[in-house]
Amino acid sequence: MLAPVAQVLQFALLIGAFVAVLEGWLHYHFKYHERNWFIPAAVLGTAALVVFAALWTAGGGVEAGRVVSLAVGTALAECLAALFFKHVVKGRHSLPFMLLAPAMLGLAALIAYPMVFEVYLAFHDLKLTTIMAWSRTGDLPFVGLKHFRKVFTSSPLSEVGFWELSLRTVWWTFINVFFHVAGGFVMALLLNSVTRFKGVYRMLLIVPWAMPQVVAVLAMRGEFHSQYGFVNIMLSKTAAWLPFLKDVGVGPVQWLGQHPFLTCTIINVWLGIPFMTVVILGGLQSISRHYYDAASIDGASAFQQFRMITLPLIRPVLAPAVTLGTVWTFNNINVIYLVTGQAGGTEDADILVSALYKAAFAFYRYSYSAAFALVVFLMLFVSSMVWLKWSKGSESLYD
Amino acid sequence: MTESGASLESLRALRLHRRREALKTALIHGALILACAACVYPLLRILAVSLRPGDRIISTDLALIPQGATWASYVKVFTETNFLFWLWNSLVITVATSVAGVALASTAAYAFSRFKFPGAKLGLSLLLGTQMLPAGMLLLPLFLMIMRLRLMNTYLGMVIAYSVSSLPFSIWILKGYYDTIPRSLEEAALVDGTSVFGAFYRIVLPLSTPALAIAFLFNFTQAWNEYLVARVILTDSFKYTWTLGLFDLQGQYLTQWGMFAAASLLVTIPVMGVFLYSSKWLLTGMTLGGVKG
Amino acid sequence: MRPAVVVISAGLLAAAASCRLAPQDQGVDRAIVVWEQEDAQVFPYIDSVFDAFKRLPGNADVRIVRNHYQTEDLRQQFLTASIAGSPPDLLMGPSDTAGIYSIAGFILPVEKVFDLSAFNKPVVEAITLDGHVWGVPMTNGNHLMLMYNKRLSPTAPRTTDELFAFCETKAKAKALKLDYCMAFNLGEPFWLMPWLGAFGGWPIDDKTPTLDTKPMLDAVSLVVDLIYKKKYVPMECEYNCTDTLFKEGKVAFIINGDWAISTYRDKFGKDFGVAKIPKLSATGRWPTPMVSGRYFMLNSKLSGAKLELVKRFVSFYTNKENQIGQVKSLMRLPALAEAAGAGIIRDDPILKASMDQILAGKPMPMATEMRAVWDSVRPHLGRAVNKKATPREAVAKMQSEAVSKIKEMTD
Repeated sequence: MLAPVAQVLQFALLIGAFVAVLEGWLHYHFKYHERNWFIPAAVLGTAALVVFAALWTAGGGVEAGRVVSLAVGTALAECLAALFFKHVVKGRHSLPFMLLAPAMLGLAALIAYPMVFEVYLAFHDLKLTTIMAWSRTGDLPFVGLKHFRKVFTSSPLSEVGFWELSLRTVWWTFINVFFHVAGGFVMALLLNSVTRFKGVYRMLLIVPWAMPQVVAVLAMRGEFHSQYGFVNIMLSKTAAWLPFLKDVGVGPVQWLGQHPFLTCTIINVWLGIPFMTVVILGGLQSISRHYYDAASIDGASAFQQFRMITLPLIRPVLAPAVTLGTVWTFNNINVIYLVTGQAGGTEDADILVSALYKAAFAFYRYSYSAAFALVVFLMLFVSSMVWLKWSKGSESLYD
Repeated sequence: MTESGASLESLRALRLHRRREALKTALIHGALILACAACVYPLLRILAVSLRPGDRIISTDLALIPQGATWASYVKVFTETNFLFWLWNSLVITVATSVAGVALASTAAYAFSRFKFPGAKLGLSLLLGTQMLPAGMLLLPLFLMIMRLRLMNTYLGMVIAYSVSSLPFSIWILKGYYDTIPRSLEEAALVDGTSVFGAFYRIVLPLSTPALAIAFLFNFTQAWNEYLVARVILTDSFKYTWTLGLFDLQGQYLTQWGMFAAASLLVTIPVMGVFLYSSKWLLTGMTLGGVKG
Repeated sequence: MRPAVVVISAGLLAAAASCRLAPQDQGVDRAIVVWEQEDAQVFPYIDSVFDAFKRLPGNADVRIVRNHYQTEDLRQQFLTASIAGSPPDLLMGPSDTAGIYSIAGFILPVEKVFDLSAFNKPVVEAITLDGHVWGVPMTNGNHLMLMYNKRLSPTAPRTTDELFAFCETKAKAKALKLDYCMAFNLGEPFWLMPWLGAFGGWPIDDKTPTLDTKPMLDAVSLVVDLIYKKKYVPMECEYNCTDTLFKEGKVAFIINGDWAISTYRDKFGKDFGVAKIPKLSATGRWPTPMVSGRYFMLNSKLSGAKLELVKRFVSFYTNKENQIGQVKSLMRLPALAEAAGAGIIRDDPILKASMDQILAGKPMPMATEMRAVWDSVRPHLGRAVNKKATPREAVAKMQSEAVSKIKEMTD
C-alpha cells in the first residue's frame, strides 16, 4: 500500500529540514535582527522565496505554492516586527519580544481571530434560516444582547436550567479535582515509601494518562455496562457469593441509566489521578530529607510531618497543577460526551460545556451558542483570576 | 547475665520492629498492586475484546485471553481499513507538531523567564486564559480560516492548528524549569564572550532536557489523541488520522467492536512508548512552579 | 559553521517541500465527493457500484471520493462545510435530515433534474416537503420489522399475545435457557414509533407535535412494562447490545431495520426469519414502523457540467440493474418501481416479509419540525425507561419540549 522506503526517507528529510529551519530560526531570533545586514538580507531572502514560489506554482504545485506563500507571509511578518522593534521601540525589550513573536503570532492567528469572530456571531443572528443569506452576502442581522439574555433565561437542555447547570459544573469540578489531588497524594506517598519495584509501579500507574483518552473513556464506559461491564459482573458475583450483602442492596446497578453523573465522575477521577500523582511525586522528591530527619528527632509524628513539612513545601508545585486541573475539568467534554452522549442522551451528567456542545449542534443556533460559549469562558476566566489573586497561587507562576 | 538479657530484649524489640516494618511494606505493596491493577485492567479488557471471535464480542466473559482467541480482528484492521494510512498521517502530523510546538515554546518561555518587559504578567495570564476556551467554541471560525487559507486536508493545516494548541502548557512548563536554572551560569558564559544565543543554546537548553521532554510528550499526546479539529480539517479518508479512522468503524447503529478494540490497542502502543521513554524525565520535568530550597 | 547550517537547511527545506504535503487536486470537476453514514459491511457494495460507474465509457477520469461519518457528525460537518462553501456533491442517507438542509438551502430540489415518476410513489413522498422533492431514492424501506431465530422459535408470533405467551412459557421457564426473550432498542424513539401507531397515534400532525396523547402514553408504558414488569427485554440495552444478544442466540426475537437483514442472514442462513411486527392484541391494530428509504441528496451549488456528471452518476446508481444488485447483496428493497416487481423479491420469503411490513408501515414525516420531535422524545423516553420519570410525566415533557424547540429553531 505505502511505498514505505520512499516515505520514510521523505519523512526523515522532513524532520531534518524542520530541525535545520529551527536552528536558523533560533539564531535569527537572538539579536541577529539588530545587525545592520539583517533587514536587507531578510528582504532579499523573502524576494527569493516569492520568485521560488511563483515558479513552483506555475509548475503546477498548487499545494507547495500555498506552503511557500505561508512561509513568505510569516517571514514578512517577522521582518515587520523586527523593523518595528528597531525603529519604534528603539531596541528596548526587543529581544524578549522577538523571542515571543512567533508563539504569539500563532496564538493570535488561531485563538484571537476566532475569538473575535465568536464575539461577532454572538451579537448577530446566525441560524438555520439565515445561513444561506450569510454565505452569499456575508451580512447578518445585528441583534444586540438578545442571545446573551437567552443564555441566562433559557437553557440548551430540557430538564436543567442555566443556573442549576452552573452549580452542577462547579460541583463536578470541585469533586473531581478534590479526588484527583487526594488520590494523587495517596499514590505519590505510597510510591515514595517503597524502594523495590518503584519503576514498575510508576509505569503502570500512569497508564490511564498515557492511553488515548477516547480509548480509555470508551473502555471504562464498557466496564460500567449493566450487562457486560466488569463492575456489575463483580457486583452480582459478590452478591451471589455472600447472600447477606444482597439484603444490604449490593447487586447490579444501571450505572449509565440511573447514575450517569456518578459514573462520569468515577471515570474522570480514574483518568485524572496519574497526572496529579506525577506532579506531587516530583514535588515530594525535591523536598530535602533533612527536614524529615530533623522533625523525627524532634519527635514529630508522620501526620505532623505531612502537615508541617510536606504540605507547605509542595504548595508551589500543587497550586498551578490544581489551577490547571480545575480549568481542564471545568471544560472537560470528552468524558461526559463519550459516556452519555450516545446512549439515550441523558442530561443528568451534563455540565456547561457539554450542554453548550449540544446547543451548538442540535439546531445550528450558532449565534446563541457563541454567546453561551463567551459566557462560560468569562465565568471561568474571571473566577480563576480572582482565585489566583486571592490565593496568591499565581506567585509561583509569575516569578 | 543481665547484660545478655538486655541484649535479648533489644533483639526482640528489633525483630518486632522489623516485622512491623515488613507488614507495613507488604501492605503498601498490596495497595500499589491493587491500584496498578485498576489502572491497567481496562487496557487488558480491550485486549480481551480484540482477541474474541467475531460473534462473541460483547459478552460477560471476564477471561483476559478469551476462549477461541483469534487474531482475526487485527488482520481485518490491516486488510479491511486504511489503518496504515491513518497511523502514518497521525505520525507525521504529531511529530511535526511536537517539534514545532516545543521550538516555539522554548524561546517564548525563555523570554518570560529571563526578561522583564511590559505585559509579561498579562501574557502569562492570557496563556492560562486560552486553556479556558470551551471545546468546540473555536471550531467554526477555525474551519473558515483553514478553508480560506486553502489548507483543508493538508498536514500543514493540521500542524498549524495543533502546534498552537499546546503552546500555553509547554510555555508554562518550560518557564517553570528555566526559573530553576541559576542565572549565574549564563552570566558567567556572557562574561566569557558567548552571545545571548550561545548562552541559551549551549547552557539553558541542554540543562532543560527534562522539561523539553515533558513539553514534547504533552504536544505529542495532545496531537496524537485529538479528534474535534481533525474532524473539521480532514475530509479525505486517505488523510484521516487514526482517531477519525477509529470512528469510521462506528456505523449508523452498529459498531465493529472487535476491530475497534484491535485498532485502539495498536494506536495506544506509540503513545505508551513515548510515555515510557520519557518517564525518566516525568518527575523532574513537570515543573509547573518550582519548589524552592 | 553558520553558512553550512544555512545551506543545509535550505537544501533540506527544498527537499521537504518537494515531498508534496498533499496530493494536488487534479481535474476537480471530474471528482464526485460522496458522504455517507452506512455501516461498514455495506462499503464493499457501494464501492463496487462506484467502480462500475468509473468503468463506463467516458468516465475514465472520474474520481469518486467516499467519506464516512457517524450520523451526527455528518449533519454537523455538512452544515459547516456548506457554510464555508465546500460541501460534498452528494449525501447518501435517510430522509430525516433533509428538512433541515432544505430550509437552510443547502440541497437542491431534484424534481426538475430527475424523472421521479420511475420510483415508487410513497418513497418519493417521504422526501417531499413544501412541494419540492429533496432527494433521489435508492432504497425503499429503512423500516423496522420483527426478526427471529428459527432455532429458538420456528414460527413468528402473529400477535403480541402470542409473543408474550412464548416469552412467558418457553423463554421464561428456562426451557430455552434464554437470558431474555426479545431484544429491543429501548432508548431510540425510532423503535417506539411502530407501537405508537398500533395504539392509534403518530408523533406529528402536519407540523404540530402530538406527543402528550393517550396512544403515546400507552406506547411508553408498554416499553417500560416489557423491561420491568414482564422482564422480557434487558435493561440498558442499546443497539449494539440488542444486536449482539440476537447474534449470540441469547434472544429469540429482535426488532431491527432492513439494514441488518443481510448480516443476520449471512450469520444464521436458513435459521433466520423475518415477519411483520406482531399485531398489538390490546387494540387489534398492526404496529406501523416508519417507512422511508435512503436517498441521494445533491448540494445546491451543483450546476452545469458538474450537475450533469452527478446526475449521470445518480441515475446509474439507481438504475434497474443496480437496484436489483442492491437487493441481492444488501437485502434492501429497491425504490425503482420497475425493479420492485423483480422475481427475486417475490420468491424470497425474507424480502417478501420485508415488503409486507412496508405495506403495514407509515411514511416517515418529512417536516423539519420532526427533528424537534425526535430530539425531545429521546431524552424523556430515556428517563421513563430508566424509571426517572413516570410515562405520564415523560409524555407531557416530550410535548412541551417539542413545542419550545420548534419555536427555538426559527427564533
